[in-house]
Amino acid sequence: MLNEWLLAFARWLDTFSWSTQLHESYYMYAWIESTHVLTLMVFLGMLCVIDLRMLGLIFPKVPASVIAAKLDKPMMIGFAVMIITGFILYFAIPVRSTQSIWFRIKVVLLIAAGINALLFRNRMRASTDTWDLDRVPPKRIRVGAGLSLALWSGVVVTGRTIAYDWYDCHKELPFFMYWVAGCVDEMASYP
Amino acid sequence: MDVLFFFEWLDTSLLAQISKAYGGVFAVVQMFHLLSLAMLGGMVLVGDLRLLNILMTSVSSEEVIDNTQKWFTVALTVMIISGIFMSSAVAMKLYYNEMFWAKMASLGFGIAFVYLIRRPLLKYDHDTINPWTLRLLALASITIWFTVAASGRWIGFS
Repeated sequence: MLNEWLLAFARWLDTFSWSTQLHESYYMYAWIESTHVLTLMVFLGMLCVIDLRMLGLIFPKVPASVIAAKLDKPMMIGFAVMIITGFILYFAIPVRSTQSIWFRIKVVLLIAAGINALLFRNRMRASTDTWDLDRVPPKRIRVGAGLSLALWSGVVVTGRTIAYDWYDCHKELPFFMYWVAGCVDEMASYP
Repeated sequence: MDVLFFFEWLDTSLLAQISKAYGGVFAVVQMFHLLSLAMLGGMVLVGDLRLLNILMTSVSSEEVIDNTQKWFTVALTVMIISGIFMSSAVAMKLYYNEMFWAKMASLGFGIAFVYLIRRPLLKYDHDTINPWTLRLLALASITIWFTVAASGRWIGFS
């Protein structure tokens, strides 16, 4: 049922002339995608510094809370631009993106990374007083930082693989893969 | 000097055979390339924004530069190694791509700028350096590395 809803939503977006114009516009699409990738440098770059500090690998003499507090704003600015340009890119190619297995995994990883960031931030705020000046933070904080880096690595790789058509709906795939990718029409006509 | 021979060799090398035959391996290497680019961007921005007195002003600029430089070198090394692997998949196409050469030129310029100008200069006590020199250094650094990243992305569109 969810697959049908998502596809119907994507097809509705696809009816907008702006969607087609954006997709077919060589420079506008390229500029938006470039901005999306370049703000990754800002967002993920700041996140890398914060997570490396939480792993005890950078700025060992600077309190962890200072690093997190000072880099939070530029990181969130990068994240906001990345999300906005991401939505525009989805709007430009809604149907194929909705039926891309990589896009779906990327969204799941994004949600997981978001939940991890929220839990990590709360856990950090609740306990910074006890380890803020430690060169290497406690294990639970290091695990959260490692998980954050792993999840965002997953977001990057799945984001990049959206461009590949390995598991697109027009390919011959097992029924399970059609289901995961949300290939509604192919599932209906599956032998 | 024409480097066509290098690209012809790369196009038929073992690296090219792996990168062309195994899309999954290529994607993973590309992930490392993008992550190292993000890390490099982070280190450049944190260091340069500190020199511009915009970010982490409560921490000494020497401390910030000292910490970010190490990870900059790690990121640059991973970026170059993964970049060579990725290039092997489309070596001949890249040789004739103008944007690729723009990226290589800006990358070469960026590496020379960091190791021949920025680092030697920032070894001195920052209080003894003219503030405008520090600001210009930071602005030049951000501009150069933005150009490297932007021209790299544009290879795919040209």
